[in-house]
Amino acid sequence: MEKQIFKTDRKMPIIEADNLTYTYPGAEKPSIREVSLKIEKGEFVLLTGPSGCGKTTLCRCFNGLIPHFYEGKLRGEIRVAGMNVAEHAIYELAKHVGLVFQNPENQLFALSVEKDVAFGLENLGVPREEIRKRVDWALKVTDIYELRERPPYELSGGQQQRVAIAAVLAMQPEVIVLDEPTSFLDPLGAKKIFEDIYRLNRKLGITIVLVEHRLDLTAKYANRIIIMDEGKIVLDGEPRKILVSEEVHLMGIGIPKVIRLYQFLKQRGKDLGEPPLSSEEIAKKLRERLGR
Amino acid sequence: MSMFEGLKFRKISSPIHSLDPRVKFFYVIAMFAAAVMYMEIIPLIALFLIQIPLIIAAKVTRQWIKSMRGATYLAAIIFFTNLLFSYFYPTGESFSYIVEHATAMTLRFVVLVESFSVFFLTTSPDHLGLALENSHVPYEFCFAFTTAVRFVPVLAEEAQTIMDAQKARGLELEKGNFLKRVKNYIPILIPLIVNAIRRSLELAEAMESRAWGATKNRTNLYELKLHRGDYVLTALTVLLIVLAVYVRLYIPIPAVSEILG
Repeated sequence: MEKQIFKTDRKMPIIEADNLTYTYPGAEKPSIREVSLKIEKGEFVLLTGPSGCGKTTLCRCFNGLIPHFYEGKLRGEIRVAGMNVAEHAIYELAKHVGLVFQNPENQLFALSVEKDVAFGLENLGVPREEIRKRVDWALKVTDIYELRERPPYELSGGQQQRVAIAAVLAMQPEVIVLDEPTSFLDPLGAKKIFEDIYRLNRKLGITIVLVEHRLDLTAKYANRIIIMDEGKIVLDGEPRKILVSEEVHLMGIGIPKVIRLYQFLKQRGKDLGEPPLSSEEIAKKLRERLGR
Repeated sequence: MSMFEGLKFRKISSPIHSLDPRVKFFYVIAMFAAAVMYMEIIPLIALFLIQIPLIIAAKVTRQWIKSMRGATYLAAIIFFTNLLFSYFYPTGESFSYIVEHATAMTLRFVVLVESFSVFFLTTSPDHLGLALENSHVPYEFCFAFTTAVRFVPVLAEEAQTIMDAQKARGLELEKGNFLKRVKNYIPILIPLIVNAIRRSLELAEAMESRAWGATKNRTNLYELKLHRGDYVLTALTVLLIVLAVYVRLYIPIPAVSEILG
């Protein structure tokens, strides 16, 4: 049943921003300026850039927190799943876009995991049997079914973040936006979360927008990287192209070590061909080169 | 604080835990009414004893004893105030009768604490929130209630972190007279409150993102249904009230001191 809902149709943009400029109430300068972008269904987009560059602000535009929750001044237009964000309430958009926040603790409200996962569906007034079905499904997909009766505060950060992901997943959105979901987690927990997110993208065709600094761990999953700086999109394209470009090296983005090694070798006349995105990839290329 | 410790809910499964919170609340009210009806010691002892099987069935004996121990201070105060009053305003009763009367008054309080602790020890906050919702309390209040319960351990942990951090900066909490000590807590409270406000903003954001307020006809994952046990407890409670009223009206209750001598 799920496969049908998340059927991928790559031709249609699911998020479409046109000349978006937004200023928080009381702020002098806009936090994002003239942002235009199109994200197609089924893409895995990595959104990165230095702190304070407007990534979080852009995420808030995707589900209507801006302008409905934050007010302030929004110019330009953004459409998500065919709806103009400024004209639709947050709860309408919530059915199409799920937002996962940085701090897992502050996005879980209930006294048990399953109740938390059900929260959004309860708010929408979905019938009880349907809630039960979808909650169980979301818990199984995120591999936390056996935790369903535990209170969230007893769980580890990684488990809590999984609950938060299950909670948006239960609403069966077309897009899931994750704003630095792993910054409170240890590296291993982070890696697991990224793998989960990748699975949602591959298997269910959910469009993913992942805000992340750790490109080392995430570049291999993305089919597109968007880099922002001072409220603007400065680079946008395929990871393999973006990460070896000159501009990206001048911006203070954490370039993955495999790319650095690749470029180090290239400067010394050893071209490995296409830039690698993971240690497995570069290891394979090196082995081929060395004839082992 | 140990009295509150005794009221803290722990998740265990027992026939009493799975009872409907509304039925249990009805039972508490009935106990309350029955205890207030009597000033004689014999029926109060009976009220005290008939609750013990419930506590054993709920497997909360240890926590229950803790809560009763926490109540001893208040119980002692009640006992001695009663004694003092009969001393200052003599009614011509014998001393043994006065002691018995004071004991009965104390026992009345103990019965109340007992029934409340049965309720709180065996009712999960989740269930309680659900019972509130089903009793047509506006959802916003129920949500505030369960969220408050959910964040108690989080805030407690945060308070501990702040305390450690401030102590590491040289704050001495235990020093000085009473007023000074209260003042010492200001550097703990301010960051705690500021953090709580910031947290509440993030919570609000997360709630909005999960369709808060989408419809007036909210559904609920759980449903409260009355089972056989609930009917049994309701019947027993009704029986208890009828019996209590009947005995009160038609049967003279002797004092223990009269029986003995």
